[in-house]
Amino acid sequence: MAKLDTSGVALRPDELRKIEAALGREPSVVELHAFDAQWSEHCSYKSSRHHLKALPTKGHDVVLGPGEDSGIVHLGEHNGERYGIVIAHESHNHPSQVVPFEGAATGIGGIVRDVLCMGAEVIAVADPLRFGNVDDPHSHARYVAQAAVDGISAYGNAIGVPNMAGDVYFDERFDDNCLVNVVALGIVKESEIIHSYAPKDADGWDIILVGKATDPSGFGGASFSSLTLDAADEDSNKGAVQVPDPFLKNVLMRASYAVFAYLRANNLTVGYKDLGAGGIMGCSAEICSAGGYGASIDLTKVNVALDGLKPEVIAIGETQERLIWTVPASITPEILRIYNEEFTLPQIAYNARAVVIGKVTNDKRYVLRHRGKIVMDVDIDVLTGSIRDELPFEAHQPGPAPTEYPFVTGVQLDELLERVLAHGDVASREPLYRRYDAVVRGATVIPRGAADAGVLAPVPGSPLGVALAVAGNPRFGHIDARLAAQHAVYEAVRSVVAVGAKPVALTDCLNFGNPRKVEHYTELVDAIDGLATAANAFETPFVSGNVSLYNEASNGKAIPASAIVSCVGALQDVSHVVTMSFKAAGSVLYFVGRPQEALGGSVVLDVLGRHEARLPLIDYAAILPQHALMQAAARAGLLRSAHDIGSGGLIVAVCEMAFPTLTRGHKAIGAQIDDPWQWTHGRVGNIEALFGEAGGFVIEVSANDVEAFEGLADDVEGVYEIGVTIGEPVLAVEDEAFDLRRLRDLWERPLREVYP
Amino acid sequence: MSERAVAINLKIPDNAAYTALTTLQRLGVDVTRVERSEILVVDFGGDDAALAATIERDEAIFNPNKHRLTVLDARAPRPGEVWIAEMGREKRYIGWRLIDKVGEPASLAALRMACTRLLCNPAIEKATFPQ
Amino acid sequence: MKRRIAVVIFPGTNSEGETVRLLRDCGGDAHLVHWSRSVTLPEYDAYVLPGGFAYEDRIRAGAIAAHDSMMDHVIDGATAGKLVFGICNGAQVLLEAGLVPGTGEVRRPTAAFTRNAPVPHFVNAFVWVKLAIAPSRCRITASLPEGALIPAWSSHGEGRLAADEAHLREIEAGGHVAFQFAHADGSVDAGAVPNGSALGVAGLVNREGNVLAIMPHPERDGWTFNHPDRRRGDDILAPSGGAVLFKSFVEAVNQA
Repeated sequence: MAKLDTSGVALRPDELRKIEAALGREPSVVELHAFDAQWSEHCSYKSSRHHLKALPTKGHDVVLGPGEDSGIVHLGEHNGERYGIVIAHESHNHPSQVVPFEGAATGIGGIVRDVLCMGAEVIAVADPLRFGNVDDPHSHARYVAQAAVDGISAYGNAIGVPNMAGDVYFDERFDDNCLVNVVALGIVKESEIIHSYAPKDADGWDIILVGKATDPSGFGGASFSSLTLDAADEDSNKGAVQVPDPFLKNVLMRASYAVFAYLRANNLTVGYKDLGAGGIMGCSAEICSAGGYGASIDLTKVNVALDGLKPEVIAIGETQERLIWTVPASITPEILRIYNEEFTLPQIAYNARAVVIGKVTNDKRYVLRHRGKIVMDVDIDVLTGSIRDELPFEAHQPGPAPTEYPFVTGVQLDELLERVLAHGDVASREPLYRRYDAVVRGATVIPRGAADAGVLAPVPGSPLGVALAVAGNPRFGHIDARLAAQHAVYEAVRSVVAVGAKPVALTDCLNFGNPRKVEHYTELVDAIDGLATAANAFETPFVSGNVSLYNEASNGKAIPASAIVSCVGALQDVSHVVTMSFKAAGSVLYFVGRPQEALGGSVVLDVLGRHEARLPLIDYAAILPQHALMQAAARAGLLRSAHDIGSGGLIVAVCEMAFPTLTRGHKAIGAQIDDPWQWTHGRVGNIEALFGEAGGFVIEVSANDVEAFEGLADDVEGVYEIGVTIGEPVLAVEDEAFDLRRLRDLWERPLREVYP
Repeated sequence: MSERAVAINLKIPDNAAYTALTTLQRLGVDVTRVERSEILVVDFGGDDAALAATIERDEAIFNPNKHRLTVLDARAPRPGEVWIAEMGREKRYIGWRLIDKVGEPASLAALRMACTRLLCNPAIEKATFPQ
Repeated sequence: MKRRIAVVIFPGTNSEGETVRLLRDCGGDAHLVHWSRSVTLPEYDAYVLPGGFAYEDRIRAGAIAAHDSMMDHVIDGATAGKLVFGICNGAQVLLEAGLVPGTGEVRRPTAAFTRNAPVPHFVNAFVWVKLAIAPSRCRITASLPEGALIPAWSSHGEGRLAADEAHLREIEAGGHVAFQFAHADGSVDAGAVPNGSALGVAGLVNREGNVLAIMPHPERDGWTFNHPDRRRGDDILAPSGGAVLFKSFVEAVNQA
């Protein structure tokens, strides 16, 4: 018998031996590829799962924690029904580096399916992005940055899901490894959630595959994203190009909503799961094994785009736009009718359709047949069971004793401010996000850019609101993975607080280098610890997450530690929402937070060409009351506007609150900021006070509301009056007056270069 | 220097070509296959290989993972192919190549019908047919 | 008496939900009519073509949908004088179907809403559109005040009105320019146009005044909660802002 060819798979020799031991024989070709996909890092989380257990995942409002395709948190009630927000967060980094348009587009496609398959209506997407140095218009990094955004735009806009949040950072350390993370939100009545497993008494049920005809695209995708990008393999990477079809997806979504309505009208409980890594095999095995069942599938029944596909390609290829239902055979005809006749899938894309491909069984075997022959027959729990790679990492070493850095002095404020505003991480992101439809579905309360978090009113007829923000600063990640992860949670949480919402849940994607390199793996472990610390402090659980490893080019350069976080918040009444732009002259401005010396990872230091290895610290004991104050003030209608302090610091936040008032038809509103000494009393220098990135908020309170606000703020540490708004397009600070229109022009220009 | 033309095609499935095919069939055009190309016309003095290499270097236009490039013999549509350009943009075309039910390049009549019915909006586009 | 409004869904349409909701909130008896139920269209008294990406805008925005059997019924209805209101992709379909400006034959377009200029990309931007005709010139706008300024969202990559010179003159002279892009103060100039549209056109009307095609989306600024900075203290769930155009449409439908 010829020796099994294992050259096309990423499985290691020790893993191959484990498979043989489990099967009691050599695996077949199909089985080999199946384990290759299932045991890839992307599918199995073998290097991270045991560490991820440290993340808090439980909470009063958690309806469904991590474990299925999405997490679900309670939003509120309307007309006697409990509504849940469905949320999922994933990455599509490697494909986006190679074919950025398709890679990013299929990233959106995949995350949307994760939400859809919980029985939810998809209501929003978000895109945290990390690109390389885009200064050179002919660079690969510039091409990736443009084409990835085009892909996200083309896909999200066509399916009619608004982009409500996102961010972007540019850093040469992402030159060879961009990060394209995606988040999706859905809305569902909690009584109507559909789970990702075959439910009780499902033995003998039909397994229905619905969606695009299976083709060879994406074969090798799961293991592809679990390897480092090697320039020499560029040519073979093309086998893994996944092809987006948002037109088909649009129809699939609406057809699925019709199926949901049918199921609800008939009080039926079924299983629904989307296909991702591992294709038909991965999805069908997981939906059945999670319910305690086996599965028997005939690959010959699968709708294919061309003849002659090998069984392993049919079984494991990652053709996009596909989902699987497990349903009682009695309702199969109606499911097929809805997809194939009412929504005419076969006319939408070549051989797209819903078709029965197999049955749920009760024997815990996973069996695939092709043209009458059995090509796979394994214990289903061995196939889907968790595997674990115990990899070495270094127990966290306390960092070097913080060096006393002198306060920054001797710099001209005007020049510094202009350069900070024009910095790639501060400049207006509007040129990028205006490529995204932010208002389709008519539910948008705050579109991206008008505040720190996007806000929707997703339940027609109800004032309930949902907020979403993302965060994860790579300049921090480069310095300290653990503290940067804490900052990611802190920034996402405070962005939600800034709009008057209550943070209810978190998601995370851990984007790191090669787990088989101690220093990269240690960063991953440290980051997980940082996420856990912050989430516990804020009492906000993680309900969904993703891990993307091997973000390392062949020369060994890894990306900055990138724990990227999203925070979802709830508002009982969107009437109380707070936006970012100044509302009137003569208001009082406050800084809520604490000025700190540390400028490590800050834009101002980058502009000055200096380096500091010390990140700002996070004092949860002080922050929690500050957040409670923000929420109470928002509910009482005392906040005219609010902005969290992020890249560029307090003075940039003030500018960003003024800029929207400079458009034609608005009354220009500027600000007069007191000498920072008035609120720092010399504890930090003026540059640290104005440009420090320790967090916090700038808020605008009407002169009439000062008494009420200061009453609420009485016991809260870290509330400083810093100035007033004025009726001119001017920013006055220290002895200087800056023309806000000029500053806005400098701020608007940089990203227009990349996104005209 | 002379005017040269190249055609860039998707080597991954082309959804737009598929929809064009089904719509044209519904409209009664005799067609069983549609190929869509992006046609670029450039001034170039070197040989075919050099021309291909120059275009292939521009990532914004050509990605080897999903595109295939063909240097055309003439700055004109091939048999069965019509080039559509936006008015005022004469160096960049969408090429639609139709194959009829016997496997031959579509006739001029069929191409004209396809254009009038679907492929060309005369208010804003110009169609160039094969000689 | 309430007439029945069909909100027409092509494969790829995506704004049908909010469109039908706002029509209903403005007093319309509106129903979603799906492409596999196109035979029921003649039963309706008026048609709305909502926004989206019918057929993903393949080949040209609206080009394939214009040939859909749904449009056979909409064309018949328009010819018979029924009111037809197209928004964004719906407007593109109406142009490709020749129903607006209506200066040529059916399905022989004399203009197009095409690729934005100078920047040929999708742009999402809040805009104001100003009624550029006497309200009574178009039955759908008849209840609006003279020079009405309506808030909306421009969310498209192919929204620039383009046509050859002769047809543009015809559009102007025939009073087909129903809406133009404007500033918040009501002034109209090139600076208000986000997509390079000829004549600053944001909407077109046909000769008979029963077919209106508008590129920006008023329904995305259709409820008070959609514009928190412009309306404080009102009932946030009430239709307002862009709903004024929908109200005018519904009134016209119910009066017919």
